[in-house]
Amino acid sequence: MCATRFSQTRSFGFRETTETVFINVERCIGCLQCQFACAIEHSRSHDAAAAVLEDPPPRTRIHVEAGYAFNSSFPNRCHHCKPAPCQQVCPTAAIFRDIEKELVLVEPRKCIACAMCAMVCPFDVISFHSIPGGVQPRVAAVKCDGCIERVGRGQIPACVEACKAGALVYGELNNLVKQGRLRETRAVLAASAEAEAEAQTVPVPIDGWRQWGAEAKQITGGVR
Amino acid sequence: MMTANSDGNYSLAKDAREIIARAREENITTVWDRLRAQEPQCGYCSLGVSCRNCAMGPCRIDPFGEGPQQGVCGADADIIVARNLGRTIAAGASAHSDHGRDILEAFHALADGRSCGYRITDEEKLKALARERGIAIDGRPLNEVARELAQAMFEEFGTRKESLDFVTRVPGKRRELWQKLGITPRGIDRENVEMLHRTTMGVDNDYINILLHGLRTGLADGWGGSMIATELSDVMFGTPKPLLASVNLGTLKADHVNIALHGHNPMLSDVIVQAAQDPELLNLAKDKGAAGINLVGLCCTGNELLMRRGIPMAGNHLMQELAIMTGALEAMVVDYQCIMPSVTEIAKCFHTQVISTFDKAKFPGAIHITFVPERGLEIGKEIVRRGVEAFANRNPQRVRIPAKPVPMMAGFSVEAILAALGGTPAPLIEAIKQGTIRGAVGVVGCNNPKIPQDYGHVRLTQRLIENDILVVVTGCAAVANGKAGQMVPEAANMAGPGLRSVCKALGIPPVLHMGSCVDNSRILVLAAALANSLGVDIDQLPLAGAAPEWYSEKAVSIGAYVVASGIYTVLGVQPPIFGSRKVVELLAGGLEDVVGAKFAVEANPEKVAVLIRRHIEAKRKALGLPHLSPEAIRVPAEAVLAGEIAA
Repeated sequence: MCATRFSQTRSFGFRETTETVFINVERCIGCLQCQFACAIEHSRSHDAAAAVLEDPPPRTRIHVEAGYAFNSSFPNRCHHCKPAPCQQVCPTAAIFRDIEKELVLVEPRKCIACAMCAMVCPFDVISFHSIPGGVQPRVAAVKCDGCIERVGRGQIPACVEACKAGALVYGELNNLVKQGRLRETRAVLAASAEAEAEAQTVPVPIDGWRQWGAEAKQITGGVR
Repeated sequence: MMTANSDGNYSLAKDAREIIARAREENITTVWDRLRAQEPQCGYCSLGVSCRNCAMGPCRIDPFGEGPQQGVCGADADIIVARNLGRTIAAGASAHSDHGRDILEAFHALADGRSCGYRITDEEKLKALARERGIAIDGRPLNEVARELAQAMFEEFGTRKESLDFVTRVPGKRRELWQKLGITPRGIDRENVEMLHRTTMGVDNDYINILLHGLRTGLADGWGGSMIATELSDVMFGTPKPLLASVNLGTLKADHVNIALHGHNPMLSDVIVQAAQDPELLNLAKDKGAAGINLVGLCCTGNELLMRRGIPMAGNHLMQELAIMTGALEAMVVDYQCIMPSVTEIAKCFHTQVISTFDKAKFPGAIHITFVPERGLEIGKEIVRRGVEAFANRNPQRVRIPAKPVPMMAGFSVEAILAALGGTPAPLIEAIKQGTIRGAVGVVGCNNPKIPQDYGHVRLTQRLIENDILVVVTGCAAVANGKAGQMVPEAANMAGPGLRSVCKALGIPPVLHMGSCVDNSRILVLAAALANSLGVDIDQLPLAGAAPEWYSEKAVSIGAYVVASGIYTVLGVQPPIFGSRKVVELLAGGLEDVVGAKFAVEANPEKVAVLIRRHIEAKRKALGLPHLSPEAIRVPAEAVLAGEIAA
């Protein structure tokens, strides 16, 4: 509790870390619900039935790509790096940081779609799409805006709300790290005590599900 | 550990690989590309914990236990997984059984003298089926007997019976068990409809109760709809007898009109075989510059024709797109089931005409010619004519036939197997008792792009026959083994010493083709006959089943009836049940105490072979027969060394 308070504020007035989306990759089951929710959130209508008819279509800012094995995937999104390489290389200053929420944002009207930001992005989460309203240029960088509008209203980001598997969680960064550390700690202690059932973060059937996916890919090596 | 170039290893079959390479060159999208595009596939769905059965939903259960654990209605993961599995079984059973009904309707039309191009080919089987039901045959015209048999079989689809007629073929102990569990199949359509009822919101919320009805639904397929399809197809088109034919894309002929018959129902394809011999159409083919008309089969329509007519087999499920991409196919005639909607799209890249024939199975982009048994032969000729005329559109520069055909033996109906054994199962039982043959395994089911094509079937079969286990095959599994050369009498040399000696003495391959996927009913009949002649229940026999590459809902129904009939079954692809620990524990564990058999899931065929061999030896031990200890059965060292399995 003490540590939490320390990490949130310092006596000279700025927050050391802020709220963020944390990815528990072992929890992702590839349902793509986050992508869907993200696209709807960033549509003009904010309505699933109407959004699918919009032109240009709304685009997701979170990308769940498949791993090598079946039944493996990783939800990838902008981590709002500090400093942000994309912001540093943007020649038109289209990429900027929101001071209050500390989110890295794009001003599409300034974007010249040069893709420098995408080239330097350590996570490859900037893509280029048509932007609504006929604003020039037609194509602009599209990336996660941290659901700044929702967060401003006191809501959590759309992707986190959609994730029922706990792969995406929202909170203060060090708190989230600490939760993971607690799980690890319990697993390590349980393993050393050979009481693993209690501390399993992933129930056994899910392990079986993932193992099949890995094995099905592995036997490809048997084919000659 | 991974070995080289896994991404490229889509298929074991050389013909497939060559055409897949062509697809790459020409940017044609295939099933493997579409699988890649679908990944990652939804975990809720593949774990079975998503429910779309009502409009309070859709709902999903967090398999990690922290998010929602109940749907809006209150259903937990166990209920949702069981409901979904139940509906899958009902869909598969419905597919087989509706196929059976179509055959029955054609048979009824034949009995009434309303059909064209059909006849009663196997009178003995007709009489045997009538006798089985107490229908008088002496002194009556055959069509009258046939009409009464048809009426009796129509009753099987209804709701007024306590038990299906074919259940009398089941060993007494098993019938009593089914009765005790309340899973005796009563009516083919009834069990399917009841499953849909039970799994709608607010009806059956006991996952065990739902799964038990799932077994009954499967049994109504295996001992009902599928068995009717098999038996009546035998009556009309002939009970298969051993014959030698050929397999792979090399069966297409560069100088002939090539027509592929694809799907599952033999009713139309059988008249097409007659139509393709029509002198007028053969002359037309010559006029167009072709040397003749070459019919080939695909999937189970192909198996039906291969088993009875020796029509060459172009390939199994994952070959349907590739067959078009040879550029040598004038027409693909489709009936229903397993026909990918993509075929019409791929046909646009070539001159192939896709011709759909059943009003219940239309394909945008195909020509539709409605098939009715009353005008069978006439329609058959019209279809062949379209194929012949399309020959003029073929671009010879685009023709690429990738392989030489491989010989394969087919035609092993139960009657044919018994005939090969000298009329009784006694020699087979004797060989099993002595241990010359350790047991028998049905390797069945589909292709699935998640498993390298044919690898699951071929490698498992190879390991089983090497270890003196007789393998019977149907469906795509049969075609896979045919392509791999494991289905000719000379393949006895691939078998272990015991099985080899039996095969050589009888002149049969170590892998016997028993037909299409509805013909898995033949495997049930054979298993029941073996049990009956030994005076034991089916679950006591050293038997097993495997579906190494299954994909279809039909395969789930097959799995349900095979296990409910007492045969241990290993699935190579995981069914969507892993979201419920209880359902997994029941199906892969507790079920053995209920019906004497259970499921296992294992992708690697090397490991499947070990599971099955250990099971068979355990059954041998229980029967007091000579047996090996489980520890003696391991994955062969060569497979570990070759990196085909994690050490």
